[in-house]
Amino acid sequence: MSERPALGAAGDGWPDGLPRGKVRPILIHPHPDLRRVCEFAGYLSAAEQQDLAGDLLASMYHVQGRGLAAPQIGRAHRVFVMDAGWKAGRASPLVALDPEIVDQSTETDEAEEQCLSIPGQPMVVSRPAWVTACWYDLQGKRHQRQLTGAEARIFQHEFDHLDGRLIVDVT
Amino acid sequence: MSLRPILIHPDPRLKKVAEPIARVTPEIEALADDMLATMYDAPGIGLAAPQIGVLRRIFVMDATREPEDEKNPMVLINPEIVLSSDDTNVYDEGCLSIPDQYAEVTRPAEVRMRWLGLDGKTHEQDFDGLWATCAQHELDHLNGVLFIDHLSVMKRQMITRKMVKLKRERARV
Repeated sequence: MSERPALGAAGDGWPDGLPRGKVRPILIHPHPDLRRVCEFAGYLSAAEQQDLAGDLLASMYHVQGRGLAAPQIGRAHRVFVMDAGWKAGRASPLVALDPEIVDQSTETDEAEEQCLSIPGQPMVVSRPAWVTACWYDLQGKRHQRQLTGAEARIFQHEFDHLDGRLIVDVT
Repeated sequence: MSLRPILIHPDPRLKKVAEPIARVTPEIEALADDMLATMYDAPGIGLAAPQIGVLRRIFVMDATREPEDEKNPMVLINPEIVLSSDDTNVYDEGCLSIPDQYAEVTRPAEVRMRWLGLDGKTHEQDFDGLWATCAQHELDHLNGVLFIDHLSVMKRQMITRKMVKLKRERARV
């Protein structure tokens, strides 16, 4: 048996100029650090932001996740990474600093979610079907995009982590 | 110790039921050494004898996740599953005989396995996580079953066509 090579090992899709990062241990629920409301990432220097984003991506791909938030590796900053497509062969890593959800659909979708901090306990979670999301990238540029499907779900799941919310709460 | 070439699907030898091993001999020990070296070289976390064209019931595995951790090579001869959990696990599996193709396969999350060790003794151990997935994937090989046999017909055909093309390309060079 072989495993899908971690992104970065093969070099494809890893954001240009971003340090490769280190695989960090992921905190497991219940852990008080998963419950903190995180500080704005804007307080971090550019180098600190890059290091944190690199570590988050390396750790996420290592455990074959599609999203990972800073508090899950014990860092209380409003930063998360996600990649909705890499398992289907379309790597699209996204680093979100100080993300916001500025609009959301009233219509909701139910789907099973897994959290890397709550291993082996998938839960059915109901969430808005689409959201209009804003975030800053590592260059400080602000993005606004309407997300649907898996992207919307992962974004909301990771966003919740930054306020200390877990899928065991939202159901 | 030497690296053995790994058969690529589709190959009739990958679809055969392998023969049990009567006792551990120096030849079997050498085979296990070769298989472990071939597996680590690939790199893979498991390798079954049919994948190197030897139709005997033996596989090797090492599902240690952390690259910094010490290696934990295991050799299982005549392995069988004596108990499997009702809980299932989904894992994005790949196979050294089906390069660069990955797909999610659902299997029991935990299994208890019994096998003959290189020490000539019978072992029994519970596996979970990636170890459980890997052990079941490798045991399948000894029965001529590949991970793509757990997928839909369409996905299986798509992957098989890619492999036929890959083999043709490799043969040309």
